Amino acid sequence: MNTQELFETFRDAAAHPKKQLDAYLAAGEKVVLTAPVYVPEEIIHAMGLVPMGAWGADLPLARSKEYFPAFICSIMQSILELGIRGEYDGASAIVIPSLCDSLKCLGENWKYAVPTIPFIPMTYPQNRWGEVGTAFTKAGYERVIADLEKATGAKFDEEKLTASIRVYNRHNDAMRRLAAALPRHPEVTARQRSDLFKSAFFMKKETHTALVEELLGQWGEGSQAGEKVPVMTTGILCDSPALLDIFDELGLRIVADDVAAESRQYRTDTPDGLAPLDALSEKFARMGLCSVLYHPKKERLEYIAKTAKEKGAKGVIVVLTKFCDPEEFDYPLLKKACSATGLPVALVEVDRQMEDFEQARTLLEAFKVMLV
Amino acid sequence: MAEEVKQVRKPPDPNSAKYKLGQIAAKAYTDVIEAKARGEKIGWVSSNFPVEIPETLGIPVCYPENQAAAIAARGGGERLCQEAEGDGYSNDICAYARISLAYAKLGSAPEQDMPLPDFVLCCSNICDCMIKWYENLSRELNIPLIMLDIPFNPDYEVSDAEVAYVKGQFLAAIRQMEELTGKKWTEEKFQEVMKNSCRTSRAWLEATSCAKYTPSPFNGFDLLNHMAVMVTARGKAEAADAMETLLKEYQENHETGKSTFRGEEKYRIMFEGIACWPWLRVTSTGLKSRGINMVTTIYADAFGFIYDDFDGMIRAYCKVPNAINLELARDKRVKLCKANSVEGLLVHVNRSCKLWSGFMNEMSRQIGAECDIPVVSFDGDQADPRNFSEAQYDTRVQGLMEIMEARKGGEGA
Repeated sequence: MNTQELFETFRDAAAHPKKQLDAYLAAGEKVVLTAPVYVPEEIIHAMGLVPMGAWGADLPLARSKEYFPAFICSIMQSILELGIRGEYDGASAIVIPSLCDSLKCLGENWKYAVPTIPFIPMTYPQNRWGEVGTAFTKAGYERVIADLEKATGAKFDEEKLTASIRVYNRHNDAMRRLAAALPRHPEVTARQRSDLFKSAFFMKKETHTALVEELLGQWGEGSQAGEKVPVMTTGILCDSPALLDIFDELGLRIVADDVAAESRQYRTDTPDGLAPLDALSEKFARMGLCSVLYHPKKERLEYIAKTAKEKGAKGVIVVLTKFCDPEEFDYPLLKKACSATGLPVALVEVDRQMEDFEQARTLLEAFKVMLV
Repeated sequence: MAEEVKQVRKPPDPNSAKYKLGQIAAKAYTDVIEAKARGEKIGWVSSNFPVEIPETLGIPVCYPENQAAAIAARGGGERLCQEAEGDGYSNDICAYARISLAYAKLGSAPEQDMPLPDFVLCCSNICDCMIKWYENLSRELNIPLIMLDIPFNPDYEVSDAEVAYVKGQFLAAIRQMEELTGKKWTEEKFQEVMKNSCRTSRAWLEATSCAKYTPSPFNGFDLLNHMAVMVTARGKAEAADAMETLLKEYQENHETGKSTFRGEEKYRIMFEGIACWPWLRVTSTGLKSRGINMVTTIYADAFGFIYDDFDGMIRAYCKVPNAINLELARDKRVKLCKANSVEGLLVHVNRSCKLWSGFMNEMSRQIGAECDIPVVSFDGDQADPRNFSEAQYDTRVQGLMEIMEARKGGEGA
């Protein structure tokens, strides 16, 4: 494939997850849905099942309101809406981690709203370090395994997990190299950039890795040149085509991100030298720098400011999913941390029901003027 | 024109439960203010953090949630919420957290002062929002944070893995607090605190269960006031004594046909959710004026911390209301509704509390079906007065009353 064809492939997967799901099912594969933010996909992969991201979609809400009050974030609402509408029909189970209050509620509601697709909870510890924390993570993984075996009939095998961990570590590496290369490719639009990350949730990791590596092979060194203004994004999601088009139209170029659905997924590898399930638990212990993961010092705030500086971003754009507690609590302190290093911050509130982005456009226009 | 006669309030009886409980609640603040003045290190603690730990260690602590409720009830909620919003906090965030973060910055509030902390103790068994709130307190005040993570349990029973995880953290938290304050944990003191805590809890459970009598010997809004003592002081002997006095009074009320509910009790409901503190009078009057007594709330069950040993204590803290799955949460409420002859469920859809409200629709549907009672909800907030509409509340309560009335008519027909 040439570069354009590669981008079309990423776009196709990112824009049509249902098509991907149906193709897997038609091929006789069993699909397991994975809710935000961190699901041990390696386990699902090792059991011969296809993990598919379920991060909701931009769509009007109707049925989810029978379960959720209006002040729960649109990611949770739209996941449930899609489930009730039958968009996930054919999936064997959904794994929902416990990493925020709304995710906990999604799991409880799912049992009654979408009874045909079994809910599998992944209860993570927030004090995830040390023996006590990793033992609890491991117990959570063992529970997921038992539930997956029940829901799908598939069997777990430790050796296969070792192989799957290699597949995922390699994908992490490819995605980190991709993120590092992107600032040298100003020709990549914001939407194309989003497609690169979003498609990873809907493709088998081996396939996605191969495509990303192919793209990196074709790219060569690239160049920093370009007139667009470099910025860093942070948030849970930044995949709305209408919002991303505004970035391009205004000449804002994303040179780094701290988006949960993008780079946050790929920062931490599973370490070598431990039994596979212990290694996977240790991976979670080593994760951090994320709004849904407890950190007594909140080091992610300095990390964002530091990364933005290193990547040459002139400002940080917080793409805040409305009603997302973890992000909303971090925002005032993030603003302070960035200000301390002279980085301007813009706040754009989004939700998955937003149709009119003119307010966001005005705000980003003004922000750009400030940056240049 | 007749001269206005000012009614002189009777001095409170120092032997009454109301007096004793009021004294304990007030002392929770004065003790900590005095300790701080003496130069002792004091902490802020989340309400479902095991009170047994600071109590055993003799560490003075106070409770930001109680303070936020007090500030909101006394009219300061909106001012402090706006202060936090001015710093960039979204108005979608829990109003207790907004009030507390604003207070941490300002250092005082005329509605309810408490000394700024030297450390904070957080327990996540209420919500993950609490973790974020305490992270921010710790960072903004540059003080240590001790975090006890008790995860939301998606299963009906508490697993051994959860007990082991929580126990490991308990022991670590105790060590951390010993290092921070120089105070020592002793088994003897723990046994005493455990005894007090169980005694207080037993009396509370028994007192609240007096609502099984018709009419109930108390107005359920009383529980919202007495709750402060259950949160802050249940490990103290004086709290056990006060709760036992409350139980005795409720039993006497029943025997003598009295009640703290003024007027005729025509209907009996369960109130679901945290109180709307800024609108306490309005929400209370809306019920009382219609002869509706809120005979029970989940708080009646929530503070039943009864256990025999350290592991039992851990299991009790793993089962607090916001840490349990829909089925267990539902069954606890169904039990309360059935035991107290509840005729309707009034649900506060609390904008401040995503976890409490996030699966309430489905749960209340199931409670309504299981108990064969009508369910009505209203929108509100525990501490931000802007998120409540008196007119909506009134209409919904009227609707609930009419359904209950029609059902009574049906029975008699």
